[in-house]
Amino acid sequence: MLTRQVESSVENFISRLKRRQVVGSYEVAKETAVILRQVVSTSRWRDVDTLLETITDVGSRMAAAQPKELAVGNIVRRVLKVIREVARGELETDVLDDSGNNFSDNSDDAGDDDEFDSDDGVFHVEGATPSSTGSPLRTPIHARPTLLSSNASSNMGSVSGNDLNALATQSTMFHLLADAHKLKDSPTEYNVYNLKPLIIQEINEEIIAELESVYKGIADQASDYIHANEVIMTIGKSRTVEDFLIRAAKTRKFQVIVAETSPTYQGHEMAANLSAAGIETIVMVDSAIFAAMPRVNKVVLGAHAVLANGGLVAVTGSHLIAAAAKHHSTPVLVCTALYKLSPLFAYDVDTFNITVAPNSIMDFQDGAIIDKVTLCNPYYDYVTPELVSLFVHNLGSAPPTYVYRLINDNYDPEDTTL
Amino acid sequence: MDPSNKATPLTIPGAKGIAGSSGMGQPMSSSYENQWMLGDDKKHERRKSSTVDSNKENKDASSQPNASVQPPARKSQKSMTKAERRALQEQQKLEKERRVAAGLPKNAKKAAELLAKTGGGSSVKSGSPLSVAGTPDNTTASVGKSVTSPDPAAAAKKAAKKSAGATSTAKSQKNQVPWLLHLDASKRPDTMGFKDLHPAVKTLALYFSEYKIVGSNARCVAMLQTFSKVIEEHKPPADATFSRHIQKHLDPHIAYLLATRPMSLSMRECIRWLKKEMADIVEEDPPLSDEDARHRLMNRIEHFIRERITMADQLIVQNGLQKINDGEVILTFGKSSVVESLLLATKKKGINFKVIVVDSRPLFEGKHLLRRLAAAGIDCSYHLLSSVYVALSSVTKVIMGAHALLNNGAVYSRTGTSMVAMAASDKQIPVMICCETYKFVNRTQVDSFVMNEIGNPDDLVNTKPMFNSIHQNHPNPTGSALENWREQPNLRILNLMYDVTPSKFITLVVTEVGLIPCTSAPVIWREYNEEFGKRG
Repeated sequence: MLTRQVESSVENFISRLKRRQVVGSYEVAKETAVILRQVVSTSRWRDVDTLLETITDVGSRMAAAQPKELAVGNIVRRVLKVIREVARGELETDVLDDSGNNFSDNSDDAGDDDEFDSDDGVFHVEGATPSSTGSPLRTPIHARPTLLSSNASSNMGSVSGNDLNALATQSTMFHLLADAHKLKDSPTEYNVYNLKPLIIQEINEEIIAELESVYKGIADQASDYIHANEVIMTIGKSRTVEDFLIRAAKTRKFQVIVAETSPTYQGHEMAANLSAAGIETIVMVDSAIFAAMPRVNKVVLGAHAVLANGGLVAVTGSHLIAAAAKHHSTPVLVCTALYKLSPLFAYDVDTFNITVAPNSIMDFQDGAIIDKVTLCNPYYDYVTPELVSLFVHNLGSAPPTYVYRLINDNYDPEDTTL
Repeated sequence: MDPSNKATPLTIPGAKGIAGSSGMGQPMSSSYENQWMLGDDKKHERRKSSTVDSNKENKDASSQPNASVQPPARKSQKSMTKAERRALQEQQKLEKERRVAAGLPKNAKKAAELLAKTGGGSSVKSGSPLSVAGTPDNTTASVGKSVTSPDPAAAAKKAAKKSAGATSTAKSQKNQVPWLLHLDASKRPDTMGFKDLHPAVKTLALYFSEYKIVGSNARCVAMLQTFSKVIEEHKPPADATFSRHIQKHLDPHIAYLLATRPMSLSMRECIRWLKKEMADIVEEDPPLSDEDARHRLMNRIEHFIRERITMADQLIVQNGLQKINDGEVILTFGKSSVVESLLLATKKKGINFKVIVVDSRPLFEGKHLLRRLAAAGIDCSYHLLSSVYVALSSVTKVIMGAHALLNNGAVYSRTGTSMVAMAASDKQIPVMICCETYKFVNRTQVDSFVMNEIGNPDDLVNTKPMFNSIHQNHPNPTGSALENWREQPNLRILNLMYDVTPSKFITLVVTEVGLIPCTSAPVIWREYNEEFGKRG
């Protein structure tokens, strides 16, 4: 069902994933989103179901190419959710359409989609909502927020009547979906024409644009978590954490201890960047983490992925830092973007771990013993949720126990297994 | 520091001549000379981060490769004639000036340490080979030869920079971690003051500073044997008896060793014991003859080594053997001589077990252990410390060595021991420490900072470039991201050598007197010291 061009770019991506030529959550997520957008725009589909199937198919192929790169699956699930919501929004306006105010309603609903999707962390957003509508919605109910927003205010009268009805019908999503299927027949073609640009617009705004703004969203909260004259410890090189700390340094004066993260020595680059930005940095061997921990006020980590139970897949050594912090009752903050959130569970500590070539821990110069010993060079580490105090993400923050709610907001349960 | 500086050698004829003529006895003043003579404009070339920290000047150290090899070639001072000795001293003074001008530390050992350590790392930059020269006489000539691009201005600038930095120890602490200022990263021993050091002690200090002899037991044994030799060859001056003079004679040697590398806690205990022995000899009534005193001291030292180190190790192995059973997976960290003996003995006994060796930067001591174990046919695997949790999934026991056992039962050992112990105890895996009783010290520390040793920070800078996959972006092959860390005013590198493992993580300590809980350490210490009291 995919056009040849899109198919070839999918194949290209898959082979690069397999060979680990594209690595890192951000890169992977971006490419996945772009490819899926292409799929939506170029493939032929007459109804939403077909589109969902196509996306699921492509997505599962890509996710299977590199199962440990959870970002692929996350973006696919996001797109699926977006599609479903746009479709639901569409269909429900058709359902409620009395006065032919389709266009305004559509734009309304599209706007609502925006508001709704970006208000995931509506509990915790202190101030910064990257939502384009900027409506201050603080309803604790997880139902679709009220449509009495500034958008809706322009269309008075009949629309408000529609809104209330809409609210009532939307409160039971699954019923809506079930009903919507039956109603699909007549306005099918009409929907497709409308849905496609909407979906593409959603993907652009929601997912791709969010990927860009992730760093800013997290860094904006930086001064909320760091006080003056603190000593912060971190490990590995994470652009998120770097931006976080550099932003905090603009208003606070603190020191950073960076563990050098053998065998990749990412910590060295991190330290170089941080000190170039004017932060007092100390580079230290990983083995001194416990020794230095009494001196540390907070630990800030980056993540490769966040699992559904609140556990963390991060660079090797993170578990050591988190455990040492726990022993010293030091809080552990994890800076992660929401696209790293995955609905999968780790049934074993090594489920999402990969091992890379061992020559960085013992190279061929030590040749005599290479045949006789087993070398293990895992790249990631699994950190249990009990060791994490707080996840700082681009829409706010969440304790590990809240992660499952974030997952519900961002993904549909039926997509968990692609 | 720009590359040109690194390649430039230390031909600063003006400085050398001036320095040579002025008061040679005080090294400090000669560097002042450099500072003054070369003018003020050179002074504020001096970067903020230029420090006296001995390890900074590795870049130009490699351009003077030959200063390091001087000590082994030195003849024993006793066998030289007076004129020869004088010539040697002059030579040493000249070299010292040269080193100071280049910014190397005044001590030849430290210079050697720099060169040895950083010759590999910065060899790409410096380009001058770490050649081996024979006698001190060649030194001057080969320094001249190794001049690749003589740049007097840059060299002078550098000299002013470095020597100005060399004057005040306060500057040495600029690049040091602020809360560790109380620890001496590098002292500047005055070799001129140690005129009559026994060459064996100098050799030993060289070995220590280059990390050729590492490990608590090895250092202690080496030190005691060296002192034994010193005692053997010592001839007291005519007006003093051997027994009274030997202590005074040994003191500068001890101070010299301290200056090159801070003493391990166990070494301090040994020295304390040795001083007690010497004091006991003095109090002997009727007073011993010189020969008798000498022999007695040497015998005592030998006895100590044999009884409290060698045999203690064997007893520990015996005691520890009962704790390792078939099918066990043992995890060990770093390289401890006792643990190595234990594991080899276990293999010899025919027990079927596996070993996981966990290693850490920058010394990578575990690799040596791994080699020995693999050679003995033990099934081993190797991990880095950061992946210890992955390793621990199959481990049944953790056995580690210790550097010292503190009074509160905490273990003072190589950095990283505490992390392994913490991880193991979190997983309910028993942690055994193998430790001889001479390592029990009568002091306590509650954190790892109050007393520790700071290693060479530049050891951390040199990382091997790795090419295997995108996952591991290697830094550019010529250097690591932290190459110019000293120029970054905000950047410091910390190379902590030891840490303190709290007693709650430790299940058991295996000593030659049996298997004890770690909190019984002070009891054992008192037993041994009372015994000494009785014996003395």
